[in-house]
Amino acid sequence: MANARRTSLFNSLSYRGREGMWTWMLHRATGLGVLLFLIIHVVETATVIYFPATYDWFLDSYKTGLFRFAELLIFFSVLFHAVNGARIIVQDFWPYVMQRQRQLVWATAAVVVLAMLPVTWMMLAPIFGLAEEPGVERHRARCMETPDAPACAGVHGAGSAIAGEVSL
Amino acid sequence: MSAPAQVVERGVARGGGGYLRPRGKRSNFEVLSWFFMRISGLLLIFLALYHLVWWNLVIGVEHLDSRVVIERWNNPFWRLFNVALVVFAMLHGLNGARYSIEDYVRRPGWQLAVKSVVYTVVLGAMAVAVFALLTFDPATVIGR
Repeated sequence: MANARRTSLFNSLSYRGREGMWTWMLHRATGLGVLLFLIIHVVETATVIYFPATYDWFLDSYKTGLFRFAELLIFFSVLFHAVNGARIIVQDFWPYVMQRQRQLVWATAAVVVLAMLPVTWMMLAPIFGLAEEPGVERHRARCMETPDAPACAGVHGAGSAIAGEVSL
Repeated sequence: MSAPAQVVERGVARGGGGYLRPRGKRSNFEVLSWFFMRISGLLLIFLALYHLVWWNLVIGVEHLDSRVVIERWNNPFWRLFNVALVVFAMLHGLNGARYSIEDYVRRPGWQLAVKSVVYTVVLGAMAVAVFALLTFDPATVIGR
C-alpha cells in the first residue's frame, strides 16, 4: 500500500484482484463503520447504569424513521464483516480452498443477501406502512400476561396504555 | 489476510515489490495480532450474533427499556458476557483501525497524532463500559 494515496477508488475497483479486492475494501469500510457505531453504542448503553432516564430517551429517539435506515446499514456492516471474516479464517487455516476463492466470495455474497432479505423487510416494511411493527403485538400480549414486567411499567407510556386496556 | 509466515513488518520499500525487514530488534507482535484477529473474530461471530438475536428478536425493541437491561444485568453471568463482548469487539476494532491508519496515514507525525486520538477514544469507551458493568449495584438503579 505504499502508493495508497495515489490509488483512486476507481483504480481499486477495477484492479484485477476483482472479488478479492472488493471484499477486502468492503471488509475495511464495514469494519471502520462498525467500530464507529460500537463507540457510540457502548457509551450510550453505559448511561443505563448512571442515567436510566437518558438511556430511555436514547431508545425513544431510535424509534424515529431515519434511524431505521442507519440501523439497517449497521446490520449489513456487521453481517458482511462476520460472514466475510469467517471466509478469511477458512482460507487462512485451510489454504487449499484458495483454489476456489472466487466461488467462496460469491458464497459469502449469497449468505449475506439471503440474510438481508427478511431483515430488510422486518425493519423497513413498517416505515412504509406495508406491515405492523413486528414487536408490538407480542409486547402487548406479554404485558397482558405479566403486567408487572419491567417494560410494561410505563417508562415510555407503553405500560399505562396496556393498563387501560386491562381495566376495560 | 496472508498466512503468518508471509506477514512482514513494514520497512523500507524494496525494488521489485515488497518491503525489507526493518532493522533492529525483531518482535512477533504482528504475528500475535494476526492470530488475535482470527480468534477474536471467530468468538465475536458467536457473541455478537447471540447479542443481536437476544435483544432484537427474543426481547424485541418494543419491549426494551432501561429496566429490562438492568434486570438482565442482575445476573453476573450476563455482565461478564457483556464484558467479554465489549473487550473483544473493541480490541478487534482497534487493531483493525491500526491497520488502516498505518496504511493510509504515512507521515510519522500525523500517524502518531491520529493513533493517539483513536486509541484514546476506543480504549476510553471500553474502560467506561467495563467499569460500569463490573462496579454498579443493580438494586440502587432499579429503585430510581
